Amino acid sequence: MNVIETNGLGKSYGATKALHDCSLAIPEGHVAALVGPNGAGKSTLLNLAVGLATPTSGELSVLGGYRAGSQAALDGIAFVAQDTPLYKNLSAADMLHLTRNLNRQFDESYAEARLAELGIPQKRKAGKLSGGQQAQLALTLALARHPRLLVLDEPVAMLDPIARHDFMATVLTAAADDGVSVLLSSHVLAELERVADYLIMMSFGRIQLAGEVDDLLAAHRVLTGPTSEASSYDEHPVVHSRRGDAQAHLLVRVSADDQIPVGWEAHPVGLEELALAYLREPGAAALPGPVRSWDAGPSEVTR
Amino acid sequence: MTTLNTMSRPTPVQQGADLQPLPWRRMAWVTWRQHRTALIGAVAFIGALALCLVIVGLQLHHAYSAATACHPTGSAACNTVVANFNGIGNFLSSGAFFLVVPPLIGAFVGAPVLAREFEAGTFRYAWTQGFGRWRWTLAKLVGLGAVVAVASGALSLLASWYYQPYFASGNQSLSLTTFNQLNPGLFEQRGVAFAAWTLAAFAIGALAGVLIRRVVPAIVTTLALCGALAFATGGWLRMHYLTPLVTQGLNAPGSARIVSQWGSRGGRVVFTGPPSYPIYQQYCPAQAGLGKGDGSGAGNPLQCLAQHGFTFWTSYQPASRFWAFQWIEGGWLFALSVLLIAATVLSVRRRAT
Amino acid sequence: MKIGQGGNESAGAKASLRAGKGPTSPIEFRLDPASGVPTYLQLVHQVEHALRLGYLKPGDQLPKVRDVVASLAINPNTVSKAYRELETKGLIVGRPGQGTFILATLSQVALPELTGLRRSLRGWLAKADTAGLDESGIAALVASELRDFYERRSGSSARASSGETEGVA
Repeated sequence: MNVIETNGLGKSYGATKALHDCSLAIPEGHVAALVGPNGAGKSTLLNLAVGLATPTSGELSVLGGYRAGSQAALDGIAFVAQDTPLYKNLSAADMLHLTRNLNRQFDESYAEARLAELGIPQKRKAGKLSGGQQAQLALTLALARHPRLLVLDEPVAMLDPIARHDFMATVLTAAADDGVSVLLSSHVLAELERVADYLIMMSFGRIQLAGEVDDLLAAHRVLTGPTSEASSYDEHPVVHSRRGDAQAHLLVRVSADDQIPVGWEAHPVGLEELALAYLREPGAAALPGPVRSWDAGPSEVTR
Repeated sequence: MTTLNTMSRPTPVQQGADLQPLPWRRMAWVTWRQHRTALIGAVAFIGALALCLVIVGLQLHHAYSAATACHPTGSAACNTVVANFNGIGNFLSSGAFFLVVPPLIGAFVGAPVLAREFEAGTFRYAWTQGFGRWRWTLAKLVGLGAVVAVASGALSLLASWYYQPYFASGNQSLSLTTFNQLNPGLFEQRGVAFAAWTLAAFAIGALAGVLIRRVVPAIVTTLALCGALAFATGGWLRMHYLTPLVTQGLNAPGSARIVSQWGSRGGRVVFTGPPSYPIYQQYCPAQAGLGKGDGSGAGNPLQCLAQHGFTFWTSYQPASRFWAFQWIEGGWLFALSVLLIAATVLSVRRRAT
Repeated sequence: MKIGQGGNESAGAKASLRAGKGPTSPIEFRLDPASGVPTYLQLVHQVEHALRLGYLKPGDQLPKVRDVVASLAINPNTVSKAYRELETKGLIVGRPGQGTFILATLSQVALPELTGLRRSLRGWLAKADTAGLDESGIAALVASELRDFYERRSGSSARASSGETEGVA
């Protein structure tokens, strides 16, 4: 089952096109990270997935075929938006009661136990909690609904390192215990490798690449060799290059059985390095079909 | 060549129509908890006004019974009692004060319902819960609307009781102050109009909130729109709910509210309104006391004009039409409220961001 | 293997809290995010290292997947992958409903064989030194060959076991 499936998805706000022709199939049982620069369309994609916006073109279905925003989708998907919106003048207990009323399924004992474990007083107004506590409260409310998919929009952006760690630990533990699939947008590249096993990269409203992290890493190498041959290198599609006067590094896409040309040394790529390379090359993409390069800046992509 | 972006077999889009929606009663606690401050404020405000009405009203009714029971009428002692009743003037007398209640309630209870969700970003929480966003909106608006309408309806019952002495027939023979039931300011406070105005103001507030998406601008807009609507209705619309009756002369029979007056000669309308300075100056300067300054004009200036061939007309609405007008006004305000609430729900349903 | 298989380790333990953690493991995992070594490999190495040093003995229980996830904030599939790798190496075994346990110690290399390996290594080092490689040059060469060696070996074993092709372009 694909938790999110899109085909040629597009979204325009008036004259501005926020998403172009996005096609994705995120399988269940993964923690998927959505990465891209500001304005790439990550929030737009997430808003569409949870039903807060409707597509302008293309198709979108969630949880194995339901329309985003439909009753089944609302029941099965829990969303924690940026800045973890809570009703600031309601207490934590009130928020629990509220969420219980608004949902078919709500595990109140889990939620209360979790708040106790976190040391969040039930009677305190949500606005008076610290940033980390607010985020944990919002997450608790979401997880207590036992959703099939948890969607998080830059959840840890405003949190200090410990709060961030605890937040992600909660998310991942829920994935381990409950089998919740997770889709989160993130800027924190350093944590990607630890946390994500599915990666989606976006730039300028398009999908640059999407796939299981293991597959993506296996399909890329950094080739180190002489700068003189770097520009003319065409054995493999080059995503990004760094050149010194004599020595150059090329981040290329390879197949597992590919031979490395003589004179070049191959190194495996880490997820952070891969993500950075694609972020630096907004025109690069790794999607099925011919590699497209649109005019979004310097690109090293060759066919 | 296998692909990086693995696509499984596309799944057909289902609607999940087999799931029953959650029961409406779940929204009762939600609405109460989120809007309890506004509701308590509104009810407290109405309660305070009710208290004023009761206190002053008892005083008024007491003075009225004293004045009507006083014998012999016309004596100095009874005149004092009558003057005592007539002299009761307070912020309620003009009736204008109560007119602030509907716009205030509309602005402070209605506008924040949706505007605050957008401003604080909490709609991203509320509208991704299982209840669904248009049903959430409908439940809140119907619930809150009903409460404010009922509370203001109760207040207007009290207002009717308060003003009773001023509408009694026979007041004029006793020189007791009379008000016309159709007077703007008074009309809106009684019958079904007050509750209907409050509901309409609430609905205007709700729609303003969803379209403007910021609390303070939505409140200001609501106040302005309610004010404009009330002004237009009281100043013009209400007098045309039913075709005004027309009579000859410059006086309307019984207790009626004059809509317009005009004078004609030879079948043609010469002037509108009661006869004015230029008319008198042209035809009957002496009778109108013009040029003399001592008011010693001989004869009735109107008789003089009549001798010149003028006929005066007055169109009016009799006070007996009070209830007909109440139902008409209540009816169109209620229909407007329903329309605006439906528009608000539709706006929510169509798009959130 | 998907997320949620942690359920097979502690069937029915849905509550995220337990007063104590039940039977605890002799070891705790740690993570070095800056080491450049993939997370799952770090876990594998830590188990092997603990075995070597005697912290873990056959029959000991490894930390439950969800406990590792909770303390390190890492993807459950990563932990599962590490445990699978150890299982492939024959070092551990998973018992449904009970947990993951150490099966065997690392194959001890016999002393004479170890001595022989040491001698040939010393000889090779002398040759490398003569050729002009310095210490870090030697280390880099060894590291690169080591990596390729195990990559080829795990790649071929993965292909042998699953028969699927990897990756793509």
